[in-house]
Amino acid sequence: MTWTEETLRTELVQLFRQHAQEGVSVDGKSHLVADLGIDSLGVMEVVADIEDRFQLIIPDEALRDVDTIDDVALAIETRLRGDGRLQG
Amino acid sequence: MSMLYAPRTVVQAIEDAAHSTSTGFRFVEEQQDAEPFFTHGGIERASARFGGALQAMGLKKGDRVALILPENADFVFAFLGALRAGIIPVPIYPPTGLGKLAGYLDNTLHVVAKSGAKVCLTSTEIKRVLGTVPARAPELERVIAVETIRGSREPLKPEKVGLDDVAFLQFTSGSTSRPKGVTLTHANLAANVRAIMQLGLGIRDSVDSGVSWLPLYHDMGLIGFVIAPLYHVNTITFLPPLLFLKRPVRWLEAVTRYRGSISFGPNFAYALCVKRIKESEMKNLDLSSWRVAGCGAEPIRAENLRAFADRFAPVGFSEKAFISCYGMAESTLAISFSKLGQGVITDVVDGPTLWGEGQAQPVPEGASSAGAAERAAPIVQCGSPFEDHDVQAFALDDGESERPLGERQVGELRLRGPSVMPGYWADPELTREAFAGGWLKTGDLGYLADGNVHVCGRSKELIIVNGRNYYPQDLEWEAGKVEGVRKGNIIAFGTMKPHNDRERVIIAFETSTADEAAQVALKGEVRRVVQQALGLTVDDVVPLAVGVLPKTSSGKLQRARTRELYEVGELTLRTSSREVDPLGAAKELAKSQIGYVRHALLGGRSDE
Repeated sequence: MTWTEETLRTELVQLFRQHAQEGVSVDGKSHLVADLGIDSLGVMEVVADIEDRFQLIIPDEALRDVDTIDDVALAIETRLRGDGRLQG
Repeated sequence: MSMLYAPRTVVQAIEDAAHSTSTGFRFVEEQQDAEPFFTHGGIERASARFGGALQAMGLKKGDRVALILPENADFVFAFLGALRAGIIPVPIYPPTGLGKLAGYLDNTLHVVAKSGAKVCLTSTEIKRVLGTVPARAPELERVIAVETIRGSREPLKPEKVGLDDVAFLQFTSGSTSRPKGVTLTHANLAANVRAIMQLGLGIRDSVDSGVSWLPLYHDMGLIGFVIAPLYHVNTITFLPPLLFLKRPVRWLEAVTRYRGSISFGPNFAYALCVKRIKESEMKNLDLSSWRVAGCGAEPIRAENLRAFADRFAPVGFSEKAFISCYGMAESTLAISFSKLGQGVITDVVDGPTLWGEGQAQPVPEGASSAGAAERAAPIVQCGSPFEDHDVQAFALDDGESERPLGERQVGELRLRGPSVMPGYWADPELTREAFAGGWLKTGDLGYLADGNVHVCGRSKELIIVNGRNYYPQDLEWEAGKVEGVRKGNIIAFGTMKPHNDRERVIIAFETSTADEAAQVALKGEVRRVVQQALGLTVDDVVPLAVGVLPKTSSGKLQRARTRELYEVGELTLRTSSREVDPLGAAKELAKSQIGYVRHALLGGRSDE
């Protein structure tokens, strides 16, 4: 499956909504810890979901620079682009 | 039995095992097709290569080398290579992500500086993020990327290593600014390996095989699954820790695939499997080979283990495989294990008597009245101390360990025996404080019953999350940096209530801001700074009005009292420290002469 930056972000926000604490609004600027209340174990669960959804592997090093959903989107875009699965 | 026991150094154990061509270490990588296997002969050769490379850097016997190696195979061979050269390795955990680099670097700097490491061996990628650490550690001469020495051809020059030589330093506890380096000798390791493998696990040499995802910079992973198996020529399959956290099923798949008979994990690992492994993933599992499932490193909750056993019984897991383990880095690794083949055993005692009077009074069987059930506290039994080791409970103020407490009396558990460390590296003061009359103070509260050790709490106020220790003072310090939070009026603590599979982390602080939106922003900011500095996720942040946090009459914050109030839901109801609890305040006052004087002079106002 190929993605655009827009469909990827929509999908990602959707996915994070399932993991965020209830009643929290989720968008690209959401900080995973401070806003969404996801802990370090929770993050690994989200990563597994992302890998399944986008059919890729996110290496541990890539998580070091991640604070917000937008940061996650960037990490995924880099990998999708490398596979020729990102349009635009 | 003791007569037949001839202790060996780890170096000797590596050489003795090298004849084996069928057993060894397997390193699972994330992509399932790559699983390099090193026979024990291969381990001997690979460790010699790393040992030779370290010697070629100018390191000599007794020098320290810091190891920050995210790949399991690199870590194992560099660690063992250093031991063979008599060089003292200092394992340091690699950065694990989520924007907490600042706190990580601070911690790393303190450990590197304290150990006096001359060389830091790490990966190219981590070398880049270390920033100013190398420049700020006075004795550190070089940071070497492991990629540059993997193919080294420098021969290992033989070095005489004896039982009394220091094997390695384990920096696992202590606050960030004053890390404690547990110093372990080869004699410590030999004694504890014997206790774990022969006495605890009834190990079958070359036959039992282990599976471990445990981090190798932690005692349970390093001593339990790298060092001990070398003495008994066991095959071990290693998984990357983060792979387990991402996909817990990979742990159980490895047990299935390699017919693992021994595997350990902290309480949370078993809970994580129950929570995260999907029904569809069960069909490929066969856990019937799993003879010993050890649980330790953080408080054990019997209901979590029971849930695991229930869930995985259909794929061959036996509840009887569980053993409850008690230990700490200062005693090498293990202090006591429950008996094999019995599963988790709990001692059900009366809760209020336990906490109120320090007596573990068994709840009579068949006491099924609602009241008795409510009061019942199940305490996990961790077996009897290993041969040659002694554990007793003492009153906290028994500074010379003169009077062991009686059966079922709660006190501080203290230990002596050949597994106990000689002390903390380069810190005579902390070392002195760690012992009382020749006994190691564990900092844990517990009791003995029928010769078995029962751990029921901690006298230190450590917060343990997912097997890692945090000092509340470190959290409070970080939270105090947030503007709007009253410095010195912050309390961090951990709580196990409501029932959960792990300790929840709470920070309560006073603020003069009453505006709700501003308080929400403060809460977010506190979470953020703690996360960034310590890599710890705070579960709840509680802003309170000025004067609400409970204090002693001398103005000292009361952490245990705050926890109690939080657990019963009264913390947020308080409007001042005296309103809800006049009796408690009066008691505190009566206890303290200083408080009495201050009360008389200042009319009950704290001057802080």
